Amino acid sequence: MSVTPDTEMALLVDVGSAWAKAGVIGRVRGRWRLVAHASQPTAWGADELRTRLSEQLAAVVDPRLGGRVNELLASANRVECHTARQPGRLAVVAVSRDLSGSSARRAAEAAGWQVSGLVTLDDGRSLADRLALLQLLEVDAWLVAGGFDGMRSLRAMEAAALVAAARRPDSGPVIWAGSDELAAEVLSLFEPNAVTIVDNPRPDSRREDPGPLRDRLQAILRQTMAREEETHLASIALPRAVGTLALASGLRVLAVDLGARTATRALAEPDGTLATRVHGGGGLAGTVLVPGAAARIARLAGEAGEEAAVADLLQTLRARPASLPQTPQELSATQTAARVQLASLMEDGPGGPIDLLIGAGSTIACAPHPAQAMRILIDGVRPIGVTQMATDGGAVLGPLGSLPDDEIREGMMLLADDLLVPLGTAAITRGGEAGRVAMRVTVHRPGWPASGPFEVRSGQLQVVPLGRGQQAELTIELGDGVSLGAARRSPRITAMASGGSVGLVLDARGSPIPLPRRGDDRRAVLAGWQHALERDAVIGAERVA
Amino acid sequence: MSVIHRVRLPVGATTMVEVGHRVEPAEVLATRRPPGGGVTIPVSAPLHRSASSAAACLSVRPGSLLESGGLLASDNRGHEVRVPTACLFLSYDLADGSALVAPLMGTHPIFGHVRGEVTTVSVEAIEIRVAGALIRGVGGSGTAVHGELRVVVREPGDELRASSIDVGATARIVVGGSRASAETLTRARAMGVAGIVLGGVLDKELRDFEATQLRRREVGGVRGDFGVLLLEGFGKVGFDHGMFDWFRQHDGRMASLFGESGRLYVYDADAPPARRALARPGDRVIAHRRPFAGLGGELVRVLDGLHATSSGIPARSGLVRFEDGVTAVVPLANLEATEPLRGS
Repeated sequence: MSVTPDTEMALLVDVGSAWAKAGVIGRVRGRWRLVAHASQPTAWGADELRTRLSEQLAAVVDPRLGGRVNELLASANRVECHTARQPGRLAVVAVSRDLSGSSARRAAEAAGWQVSGLVTLDDGRSLADRLALLQLLEVDAWLVAGGFDGMRSLRAMEAAALVAAARRPDSGPVIWAGSDELAAEVLSLFEPNAVTIVDNPRPDSRREDPGPLRDRLQAILRQTMAREEETHLASIALPRAVGTLALASGLRVLAVDLGARTATRALAEPDGTLATRVHGGGGLAGTVLVPGAAARIARLAGEAGEEAAVADLLQTLRARPASLPQTPQELSATQTAARVQLASLMEDGPGGPIDLLIGAGSTIACAPHPAQAMRILIDGVRPIGVTQMATDGGAVLGPLGSLPDDEIREGMMLLADDLLVPLGTAAITRGGEAGRVAMRVTVHRPGWPASGPFEVRSGQLQVVPLGRGQQAELTIELGDGVSLGAARRSPRITAMASGGSVGLVLDARGSPIPLPRRGDDRRAVLAGWQHALERDAVIGAERVA
Repeated sequence: MSVIHRVRLPVGATTMVEVGHRVEPAEVLATRRPPGGGVTIPVSAPLHRSASSAAACLSVRPGSLLESGGLLASDNRGHEVRVPTACLFLSYDLADGSALVAPLMGTHPIFGHVRGEVTTVSVEAIEIRVAGALIRGVGGSGTAVHGELRVVVREPGDELRASSIDVGATARIVVGGSRASAETLTRARAMGVAGIVLGGVLDKELRDFEATQLRRREVGGVRGDFGVLLLEGFGKVGFDHGMFDWFRQHDGRMASLFGESGRLYVYDADAPPARRALARPGDRVIAHRRPFAGLGGELVRVLDGLHATSSGIPARSGLVRFEDGVTAVVPLANLEATEPLRGS
């Protein structure tokens, strides 16, 4: 009697706006492992992606399955998440550029909206120009802000009137986030059910509280734009996976996902509570819109070339987001752009130490050298304290987060060995005087003599080898005026560190990182840091693809 | 072949065309009366009321349009406030009892900037079927312009020099090569060139040109429209040979260029060479990233497995024989397949 061999496998797919990533999980010696992984420009299509996975599988599967790999892949369970097909477009009309306008804009971008137009009553335009601009906008919703609570502001009412004059009836919701005194009057300007009243993000001149507006805007974005099952949206799925991971591990986990179009930040507390920010234009393609980005990147990258070349590159990232940096200069500029975008994603960032920081998105997770991924994360996010660092190298967090609630944890446990690619641990300080010792670190590994103490001076960065799977206890003595983020109860701090492809990074460069003003000095310092990070890293050892 | 061009209408526009209407680029499709600068109209004083109580007498709400002589406020006892001209009511000042209104300016025409047949008319947009080809670029600058195409460089990789712009280019859309400096763009504009189509341009030079034009506009020194369209990328990026040949074949045809939205309509034209994201061996390709940006060639073969570029990124790559004789390994993600011209 002949037996037809069969196998169990599932396909995890993350379809981004520029790149699609897919992994095949299958049983290997009784355990579920990521057995194939491919990524490609989304425009190449699903058939091409399956062909690539089939080729990889054909080389490793049981030869009796060899001819049926494609068929098995086609019938495999498919767990998929994807970037929203169209960004939510918002017009923001506010009284002042620096107060209500900037609060409203930041809240909108942090909620995942793409701000298509910003008009403020002090923007220097004539009334006619403001109206003309608003009348030509094609947006999905309107946000109006201005005036302090308890006061009737004529200007805030004028802002609402501008929207009433420029907007077609029934053409998207209007969100009023201005003075509470004017709410009833604003309601009367529009057709019934058009206006949503939200707490004022600037209730008075000294206070800013954008939280309620941001949360409401997030909810409205989902109602307005998410026509598909929302758990399959990457901006929802990734945070769900991070929340489950935090709950299961008891760690405070921060994940940052830098895509071509959007950037997502998900902070999960050990009890599973989540705080998510999606920046609609915060992806790499949006770097070109950041004022002065080219000059800043040319300065921070060290080896990216002249500002003009960086400006061309940023435009290329916008125009052809699926293309790859082919020269070292372009790679350096792209990774620096990623650091800049992450830094802006972390503005109004979560306070307190982070236990685990995960980097996702092709620029971080598929960096050619793990030290480059580490650099993007420690420079972009700047997590003060002792933090484990990892990447979502297999792009599996998003697809796993799109599973039903009760299956996410199960999926993570099954795939535990391939869930994250550990980079190591970073101990990052702030404060201290230049040239003085910022921290002395002694590394204790079970079964090994203690190594160190390693003295790291302010402005320095040092890497101590600590491989994947290795654990160590750190004893850290901080210098005067130096902090690891949390209050210090004793002169010695102990913390646990786990290893990875980069190791233990002792970073006393402070926050923000000061750089020499002279170009040559700056380039030398930047190259020194990069060299320190790359020297001991194990290239490619931890890479999935 | 034909393509659809959509003209978005602002709120309050009055359409002047119907479905089936044949329109020219300079033809008015709709009109609108844009609001001008704000003026205040006393309300409480004519009503003999306090500023706060007069607010209840307003008969319109902010955002409303009023015709000339339209009723702004009334106390129902014979006292009324009417607006002297057609205007948009914006707000009422409770402090001084005045209304802020924006008088409507003269009729402002809305052009389609293309030649074709109207297929759809709605309050939001007018759609026009254009007999010809649409070419989309990766960027651009400036307003919508219309003119004859004129190819002024010999090779697709040639830089468009200021000396190539002469009086013969006036009112035409000049098709240049791989780059144009800010000086060339400035000269082109000064010579009355309608627009320029380039393979690429340095972002900095385009921004510099835009900045100088903005400053000159502010002091009233610039008149007329001018548009720039970039087809391939930013930096010194040449045309794909196939696309350049297509432009040469259509030299002298009328075209409409929309710089800001990166589109070019060429009338009565054949389909331009098509592009495909995933190139196959034997395809003609164009590269999009440095060091080969804008270079065309043939994809000789796709390499097995992943190949690390000089940046270190492992990627599916192919061996490309470029037209300048260089053979190099290029990530497939940085290549686009270009279809040959019909009949070539």
